[in-house]
Amino acid sequence: MGYASTIKVPFGPQHPALKEPESFIFEVEGDTVVNVTARLGYVHRGVEKAFERRSYVQNLYLAERICGICSHAHTTCYVQAIEELLNIDPPPRAKYIRTIIAELERLHSHSLWVGVAAHEAGFDTLFMYTWRDREEVMELLEAISGNRVHYAMNTLGGVRRDMPAETFPTVKKHLDSFEKRVNEYSHIMKTEQTFLKRTTGVGILKPEDAVSTCAVGPNLRASGIKEDVRADEPYAAYGETPFQVIVHGGGDVLCRALVRIEEMTESINIIRYALDHIPDGPVRIRTPVAVPAGEAVSRVEAPRGELIHYAKSNGTTKPERYKVRAPTLANIPSLAKTLIGAHLADVPLILAGIDPCFSCMDRMVFVDQNRDKQWVWNMEELKRHAKVERN
Amino acid sequence: MAKEAFEQLFRKPATTKYPLQKASVPAGFRGRPVWDMKKCIGCSLCQNNCPSGAIELVGKGMECEIKYFLDRCVFCSQCVEVCPRAAIVMSTEFELAGFDRSKMLYWYKRSGEVL
Amino acid sequence: MSAIEAAEILVFPGLLFLIVLAFFYEWVDRKFFARVQNRCGPLFAGPAGLFQPFADFVKLISKEDIVPAACDKILFDATPIFYFALPLTALFLVPIATQSALIAFDGDLIFMMFIFALIVITVFLAGWSSMNRFSIIGAVRAALQMLSYEIPLALAMIGPALAAGSLSISAIAQWQSSHASWGLWLQPIGFGTAIICMLAELEFVPFDIPEAETEIVAGWRTEFSGRKLALFKLGRDFELVLASALITSLFLGGAQQVGIIPPIIMFLLKTIPVILLFSFLRSIFARLRIDQMTSGMWKYLVPIAILQLLLILLGIGK
Repeated sequence: MGYASTIKVPFGPQHPALKEPESFIFEVEGDTVVNVTARLGYVHRGVEKAFERRSYVQNLYLAERICGICSHAHTTCYVQAIEELLNIDPPPRAKYIRTIIAELERLHSHSLWVGVAAHEAGFDTLFMYTWRDREEVMELLEAISGNRVHYAMNTLGGVRRDMPAETFPTVKKHLDSFEKRVNEYSHIMKTEQTFLKRTTGVGILKPEDAVSTCAVGPNLRASGIKEDVRADEPYAAYGETPFQVIVHGGGDVLCRALVRIEEMTESINIIRYALDHIPDGPVRIRTPVAVPAGEAVSRVEAPRGELIHYAKSNGTTKPERYKVRAPTLANIPSLAKTLIGAHLADVPLILAGIDPCFSCMDRMVFVDQNRDKQWVWNMEELKRHAKVERN
Repeated sequence: MAKEAFEQLFRKPATTKYPLQKASVPAGFRGRPVWDMKKCIGCSLCQNNCPSGAIELVGKGMECEIKYFLDRCVFCSQCVEVCPRAAIVMSTEFELAGFDRSKMLYWYKRSGEVL
Repeated sequence: MSAIEAAEILVFPGLLFLIVLAFFYEWVDRKFFARVQNRCGPLFAGPAGLFQPFADFVKLISKEDIVPAACDKILFDATPIFYFALPLTALFLVPIATQSALIAFDGDLIFMMFIFALIVITVFLAGWSSMNRFSIIGAVRAALQMLSYEIPLALAMIGPALAAGSLSISAIAQWQSSHASWGLWLQPIGFGTAIICMLAELEFVPFDIPEAETEIVAGWRTEFSGRKLALFKLGRDFELVLASALITSLFLGGAQQVGIIPPIIMFLLKTIPVILLFSFLRSIFARLRIDQMTSGMWKYLVPIAILQLLLILLGIGK
């Protein structure tokens, strides 16, 4: 009997490095990864099918619960798609409030990521510090919207709650103290030698690979490509608020970390500008219940990258087909390029570097390449496959 | 980093010792919705707009009773928004977990509420 | 053996006292680590969470002991016992409650290094016998780590031996007290090297590579559960006591009577700051990769340790 020169190390579906289940099987030779097999679909929940059975107002809350961390991005994208079908434009104050909440969500998502990346690198102290300071943003969101995640601020035609001007000084005070912490973490990440050793030169994604594998979000911007939906196709109030698109050229995990930290500072500036320049007026307009037939696509820059929603309506109160493309799904092919040739110890950091949100991304579609056909299952087939028994 | 870590030793821990210390929630917090049956007219708009099917009307019109399933609610407050008589109010109750599914049904009768 | 000797070995400062001390030092480590991270640490089991390590031990003993079908049963059963017994044996060589250790002979410093090597072999066999991918990777990393820190540690520990002119740990401790000169300021480079190598031996961050939780689940300890895991945890606590006691005896003067303060109190007063130093270092670094660790050790630490020896040979630090 001969010994194989490679061993297969499974990462998932359950693994301490992954916060959500997906299966990656690494073939490791010594300490180097020579091959990766990814198997997705462990968190498929049939969300797109659920969209077809609920009215447009009910789907607001379903869209929110596609993901917990980027919940507002999903509702904003949904609401923009349906507003395009309805051919209405929400009032400017609503757009500014949507922007403020979106940037607050980016703040708490990126600070969560800094903690998770530190934990994957074994740097538990930074993990505890960032999550402690993230509580400040969560409490701010709770005071504004009524819940720490799933803010339920968006509705068809505007936002549901107003932000009274008396709350602005408190928001600014919290933003100032949070900004000091962000600068502190930026300093730690740039100077802590052990952390730098773990992240410099690790998981390098070259710009041409980033474009060819359709990477999105901070991963793309960390490889030197300047693309951001907020700047390329401004939505909500991003056309009127000035901000910079952060780009770093290195392509390794350190650049991705720096992009996210500096995006946090940019978010704080956007929120301050929006608070200072928010126009007065109503926050929502009435919309008709039935949506005219048509198709709409909307794109939004979620904290993890470009999020696309596609809506097809046939004139009734329920959508005919709804499709969600989460940013993490677009980042998975780039993993194949960055993981091969890495040390086994770098794998958790590279996986964490794309900021994975596997719950967002699992969808199911059948493709027959030979006959060039695409189809989806209907509800009965889906239930039969899942063997759901309801009493 | 070492200086920052050393300074933390002299600060109070950031942990809230819940449940020995009560957690405070802000005023607009979306907790469990509460029905005022004196104002309810039985229009069933709350039942039709609930995304998760947590509301069921029993009966019709002014004699209807409301069944609210706590274990299906997602606390979105769409029912509050859509009620034409403002009969629903979101309380700030959030300590709603339990071991018994049958206790998760709140049946609002016209006389007073029954669990 | 007389009744007093039996009581010394079994109760104080022997087995029972060392077990209590191990739990206490784990509490100190966890509480300090938590406070640096602005958390509470153990809180509810006993006053300020003092009984938490003991509670964890009792809980683990009461859990089911799952043995994988493909493992090497003899080694799988034996390695926890060895891992528990080896640091305990080594602790009898270190002076704790008396000026001289319970077992002191010329050359017990070399015996101590031999026990360190045996501990790592036990770790390797524990991971190897588990027949689990993660355990094997962890075991191989543990062996590789030992090859890196063994040399600088031995060189750093020889320094005080050269200064004291003896290879017995008790004699080195007594020499430091009688000459009122501790290894700490005689050989600061050796002290620093010893602390870093002890971090690697204890598998503390930045050297907790063999059991990197986010990479290989629990490394060589993955398949152990129940009583075996309880013994491993207790063995790790014994290693903590051993590391701090060894550093104290070689560099901080050991357990010696100062005025009317008995040796055991001096021992506690000296080892607890060493434990706090280990905890603090554990909290401010990220984990290194195994190749970075081996290259760093061989490129930097070995020359520094040799430099310390050269200084001693030139007469500085004697």
